[in-house]
Amino acid sequence: MEILLQLVYSGIALGMIYAVIAFGYQLTFATSDTLNFGQGEALMLGALVALTLVDRLGMNYWLAIPLVGAFGLVQGVLVERIGVSPAIKIKSEFGWIMSTIALGIIFKNVAENIWGRDDMRFPSPLPEAPIKLLGANVLPMELLVIAGAVLMMLAVEFFNRKTIYGKAVVATFNDRDAAKLMGINTGLVITFSYALSSLTAGFAGMLIAPLTLTGATMGAVLGLKAFAVAIIGGLNSGMGIIVGGIILGVAETTTGFYLSTGYKDVSGLVLLLLVLAVKPAGLFGKSAIKKV
Amino acid sequence: MNRKSFYAALLGFIVLCLVPLFTHNPYYIHLVETIMIYSILLFGLDIVVGYTGQVSLGHAGLFGIGAYTAGVLFLKVGAPFWVILPASIAVTGLFGAILALPALRVSGPYLAMVTLAFGTIIQILINEMTFLTEGPLGLKLSKPTLAGFKLNEVTFYWVVCAVLALSLVVVHRVLRSHLGRAFEALRGSPVASDCMGVSVYRYKVYAFVISAGLAGLAGCLYAYSEQYISPNTYNNELTVLFLLAIIMGGRKTRLGALLGATIIVLLPKLLDDLDAFRVVASVLAVSMLIGAVISIVRQRSTWQSMLVPVLGTAALAAFSFWLDNITDWRLSIFGLMILFVVYYLQDGIVGFARSLMGKTGSADAAIALPAGHSEQAALVRATESKEEDLLVAQQVLMQFGGLKAINQVDLKIKRGTIHGLIGPNGSGKSTMMNVLTGIYVPTAGDIVFEGRSVVGRTSSDIALSGIARTFQNVQLFGEMTAVQNVQVGLHHTFKSNFLDVALHTPRFNQEDNSAFSRAMSLLEFVGLDSLAFEEARNLPYGKQRLLEIARALALDPQLLLLDEPAAGLTAPDIKELVQIIRKIRDHGITVILIEHHMDVVMSICDAVSVLDFGQKIAEGKPAEVQSNEKVIEAYLGGNAH
Repeated sequence: MEILLQLVYSGIALGMIYAVIAFGYQLTFATSDTLNFGQGEALMLGALVALTLVDRLGMNYWLAIPLVGAFGLVQGVLVERIGVSPAIKIKSEFGWIMSTIALGIIFKNVAENIWGRDDMRFPSPLPEAPIKLLGANVLPMELLVIAGAVLMMLAVEFFNRKTIYGKAVVATFNDRDAAKLMGINTGLVITFSYALSSLTAGFAGMLIAPLTLTGATMGAVLGLKAFAVAIIGGLNSGMGIIVGGIILGVAETTTGFYLSTGYKDVSGLVLLLLVLAVKPAGLFGKSAIKKV
Repeated sequence: MNRKSFYAALLGFIVLCLVPLFTHNPYYIHLVETIMIYSILLFGLDIVVGYTGQVSLGHAGLFGIGAYTAGVLFLKVGAPFWVILPASIAVTGLFGAILALPALRVSGPYLAMVTLAFGTIIQILINEMTFLTEGPLGLKLSKPTLAGFKLNEVTFYWVVCAVLALSLVVVHRVLRSHLGRAFEALRGSPVASDCMGVSVYRYKVYAFVISAGLAGLAGCLYAYSEQYISPNTYNNELTVLFLLAIIMGGRKTRLGALLGATIIVLLPKLLDDLDAFRVVASVLAVSMLIGAVISIVRQRSTWQSMLVPVLGTAALAAFSFWLDNITDWRLSIFGLMILFVVYYLQDGIVGFARSLMGKTGSADAAIALPAGHSEQAALVRATESKEEDLLVAQQVLMQFGGLKAINQVDLKIKRGTIHGLIGPNGSGKSTMMNVLTGIYVPTAGDIVFEGRSVVGRTSSDIALSGIARTFQNVQLFGEMTAVQNVQVGLHHTFKSNFLDVALHTPRFNQEDNSAFSRAMSLLEFVGLDSLAFEEARNLPYGKQRLLEIARALALDPQLLLLDEPAAGLTAPDIKELVQIIRKIRDHGITVILIEHHMDVVMSICDAVSVLDFGQKIAEGKPAEVQSNEKVIEAYLGGNAH
């Protein structure tokens, strides 16, 4: 029982990371119906930049957060300008899928050349001794992940609801053409949504890095599983990704423990295939009515 | 395939077969062999990517399944080659069907992610199921024995040659048949495919299974060719490489697949050699510059649009001279190539070469037109029946959230009449069409067509039972020619299966010829025969509407639903349209006509129903309806005095 509870704790922490990345997918999908297939790479870059700042330059972990955030913003703008906006212009779905994949490959390769191919340890900013919570061990870092993820999502939601810039984003969410006619620069809003999306991914990378190993290949599978979460929860449901993330995270830690660590990644992906086969709009998503 | 390209292909094949006689270096033989094996896989990938227009990131996984099926059967069962080869195709085809299941519900980016997840799962499973696959250690095979004859490097090369030629012929024939047209139709407009009786569901699975079968075949040959297989080969990098090959070579051409395979096999070798890479990058930059100058002089493009690719290739050339170690940057170069191809070489090298030579993509234009069609041949008379009502809708309710788009509507359509359906915008006319054709399932109520309820049946099933339609927003298969669009409508006339198509049996030839001449006479019927080989998207709007009617008639419908056929037509065109609709009725085909041109409605309809806010407010002969006060009120608003 204690082991199970422990697995649930780490599952929730893992799930919150998925939720944050999935949140990034939602941001861009809402404004432009596009996704960054290199979202995992954005996370990986965030983690590696943070590693350089903290480990090599000796910067304080907390002070590094805004810098990593700024890096994420720039990286997101780059992805949107090179990969997505030309594709939106020529209305090519195939175009943005392929170009964000290509950018992801390039980022990964560049990271390999800068930081090397080996995984590295990220120094934990919090004590590494586990604390007892309801009779099971939990790492302080895991609690930080959960708190950080929730705060991050709340901050973006607050921005969207309470500020005029956020309202422009929400307007573009609802109807891109109408927003354009109301004088909103929707192109800029889409760029901005990509910047925000990469920022959240970079931040997620910084959160998860101390719990796992950091390296150029860490992003790919995380990005894929976060997509599974976005699908399970529904691409337009805020609550859905948190629940979806937790379901997937717990499913993974338990399969990893009771079955085999090798099969740990399979459970999430099978879950993704099942949800898509049964309810493609996700557990919490509303299915759109197709117009003919 | 016309004569010229047939001989070119034959010559190419002979040269390919002679390669081992010219060089005895096993390295080169193996290289060409790998190109051929990848080509087989790419033929299959092209069916999914080029024809049905879906992005599959799972083909490396399928390739791996083929290779491991071969490896496991060879090592654990000791099966002979002639068993292993078909077994690999069958097993991989089965996995293709499994992959297609979730893929049926989704498309676009979802499908891309699903296939990516599939590929990842396969790689994990190959690694983990050590009792079968030996995990990361990999499996060792030896070259197969065929008919008691142990194959060596060279003889196996010829086997691969033969398999390549065979799969080329089969794939080419399939894609030129009604199956290929069905795949292409899915891409053009899934909704229209369903409404033409081509089930999107079934043909997506079909496309995936054929594609996977070819990947399995390629995987099996690859296992024998390499004689050693390990899980790391079948990773996502290989998948992306396959996609690069397809879009770089050129979608929807077999030559493009061969070219793409050559590029992705030679590219990594090239990137091992920095000097060679520098030469190629320089040549590329220069040829890009020349190409840009040619196209600007010929006024095919502006200098602004050519600036980026010219600078890009120049920068790549400069980059190649700055680098001192190229292998580490291999993936970045692949990534840059994908970006380049996606934005500047959308039709691939083959498409680019064609556009430089000023040739259009359609090779069918050369076919001589069979002459002497009559309308009798074009239209099939509707069946006669004593039953007076062809379609009866009772208390149909269609609710979207709180909105009742159709509210308790009754509709009786008499056989052999033209029934007008009018009403202000947003009154539920098009929704009614969608309910009748199964695109929407009504919230309540029943619709009976020829004694059978249509509620809950799929669109394609309803279409095949005799309801054809056109669309308010034209839903043609844009990249297909006018005559191909109509041929998709004739899909139901084909009884041929995959084998008939592959072998070109008399049955298939006969069906194919008659479908073609039927399609031509249908085009003649609507006056589009002179534009038969024009791509549908290039037709003017009014002609597109007529083409939709021809395509719908190809279904041999009992009931034809026309959704605003006169919209966007000029006055003389409208006159012609009225003639066409009358002729259709004269063949006993019942017509439901939604139209805003009141003169058209009033002159040809036998009965008219009027909808307003989802409710039927009037019904009767055109003249009665015209003077009905409720109708006048609905159209003009307020109280009409």
